[in-house]
Amino acid sequence: MAGSYRCGPDAPRDAFDRQAYDRLAAEWRYVITDMICRAGSGHLGGALSLVEIVMTLYGRILRVDPADPAWEDRDRLVLSKGHGAPVLYLALAYGGFFPTSWLGTLNRNGTRLPSHADARSVPGIDMTTGSLGQGLSCACGKALAARLDGREHTVFCILGDGESNEGQIWEAGMFAAQQRLDNLVAICDYNKLQIDGFVQDILGLEPLAEKWRSFNWEVFQMDGHDWDDVYRTLRAAQAVRERPAMVLAHTVKGKGNRAVDNRPESHNIKVPDAAAYRSFMEALEATGFEVPY
Amino acid sequence: MALHDLELRFVYGQTLCDLMAASPDVVCVEADLSKASGTNPLVPRQYPDRFINVGVAEANMICVGAGLASEGKVPFCASFSCFASRRVYDQITISVAYANHPVKIVGTAPGVTAGPNGGTHMCFQDLAIMRAMPNMRVYSPCDAYELRAVLRYMAASPVPEYMQLIRGVMPAIFDEEYRFDPERALRLHEGGDVTLVSTGYMTPPALGVARTLAAEGIGVDLLHYPSVKPFDAETLVASARRTGRVVTVENQTILGGLGSAACEVLCERHPVPVKRLGVPDRFGEVATEEYLFDKHGFGPAHMAAACRAAARGGV
Repeated sequence: MAGSYRCGPDAPRDAFDRQAYDRLAAEWRYVITDMICRAGSGHLGGALSLVEIVMTLYGRILRVDPADPAWEDRDRLVLSKGHGAPVLYLALAYGGFFPTSWLGTLNRNGTRLPSHADARSVPGIDMTTGSLGQGLSCACGKALAARLDGREHTVFCILGDGESNEGQIWEAGMFAAQQRLDNLVAICDYNKLQIDGFVQDILGLEPLAEKWRSFNWEVFQMDGHDWDDVYRTLRAAQAVRERPAMVLAHTVKGKGNRAVDNRPESHNIKVPDAAAYRSFMEALEATGFEVPY
Repeated sequence: MALHDLELRFVYGQTLCDLMAASPDVVCVEADLSKASGTNPLVPRQYPDRFINVGVAEANMICVGAGLASEGKVPFCASFSCFASRRVYDQITISVAYANHPVKIVGTAPGVTAGPNGGTHMCFQDLAIMRAMPNMRVYSPCDAYELRAVLRYMAASPVPEYMQLIRGVMPAIFDEEYRFDPERALRLHEGGDVTLVSTGYMTPPALGVARTLAAEGIGVDLLHYPSVKPFDAETLVASARRTGRVVTVENQTILGGLGSAACEVLCERHPVPVKRLGVPDRFGEVATEEYLFDKHGFGPAHMAAACRAAARGGV
């Protein structure tokens, strides 16, 4: 269908079908919740907060090719908050990088889809991540490599807000500005929650936009669940020259699932039995989808 | 000037330039210690685009290296060994070794050679902690020729590697013909009474000890290990079968490094008495090398005494 989600060189970037994307976002939230619940535990909240951003990236922005995941001129995405991997697995599986049947193996013994993003086993993942704070530096290295090779692609990097407690994020922030890495776009999933509670109560980041501006980044803010805002802002960030771009994406952790939305407990849910499974599935704002495994 | 008349840090800088000339993918990454590493001013003058100075930010250096390596570059990331190993252990573990990106990590001023900087900068555990990391290889070359050969090897090898870099002048053990093979230890002196196992900074004095003891009628089988991981078990076992006694020496803690690697092999393959020389479970301090050798008991005199005792059956 024209305007529905598809990855690849011929993806319909401008023929955006809002209804199709709305429906698919609901389906992804259903499948993500199901995958994690069937695994018995997992990082639900931080995957659900990224659905619109990741779907927009893979469906409308990233130049990638599921038939050639290692294509040298592709855009890169480093999921520095590696625990958000389930949504990345959805984007890649639905985009044709690997069979959707793999999704049912999340976190199972011998799986290719571990809890944190793994470039070693998952086609289409550009960097193995999971230890918070490291991915932005890795993305800087990728952006430097692109510059050295004279390539034009963009390196995107998705950070967590809790992750931004890590000092290394700010080392990378200084470095990217020093090197004028204008082929680097960072997105902070600013859902205002970290593992132990609300960010403002644990280690507050505000004024976050001013912090990044003072680090000589071009700073954007967007509603991370608004299709138009996400698309326009990411395109504007890509167009910045002479400095890196930081997009503060205001999101809701656990978005679309009433059992976890905007709750600290959403970070890593435990699903010990069938009753717990049902409670998480019934709390979804949209249900009735088929899981592809 | 012969290669072995140069400080090894300048051999590093020059060799890196040679490697950068040979391949556009080789990149020099530093963290504000580029003069100490010997790459500055040589590398930035010749290859300013591929000389990346991240400032005093070693964690960022390692992960920038990982990002470069993930895109086909061959980054050599250098700092003092204390900062290049223990300070960035998780960054190396996850972004380099676990992710399996061929970052080349250079830890300078190993062990007692950090003397004037004192205990805060004196790293005795880099061989041990880097050896404990899956996917990581660990090297400690002992002279200019071996250093150059190890660097050439690292530039061509598609795996993560850590190398100790002694910064000063080292006596020539090898020559222009030397070729590095991480799977092979080198027998630098043949003898049948005791096996002496060394690496890096301790190999030249170990060779002196072997020659001295030969004049006393004690045959030292000196095995030099430029690679602590992979570790050439066969050469050690074969030597231990002949001598029946083993002494190890390293410019490191005796917990987990070369001596431990030797013991792990011997206790499973051919148990013999072993004496490990090195730093016991202690931190370093600001001091001369001679003072530290004496304090911890792993200088030439201690090596000789341990070998004599072993030859008498007294290990």
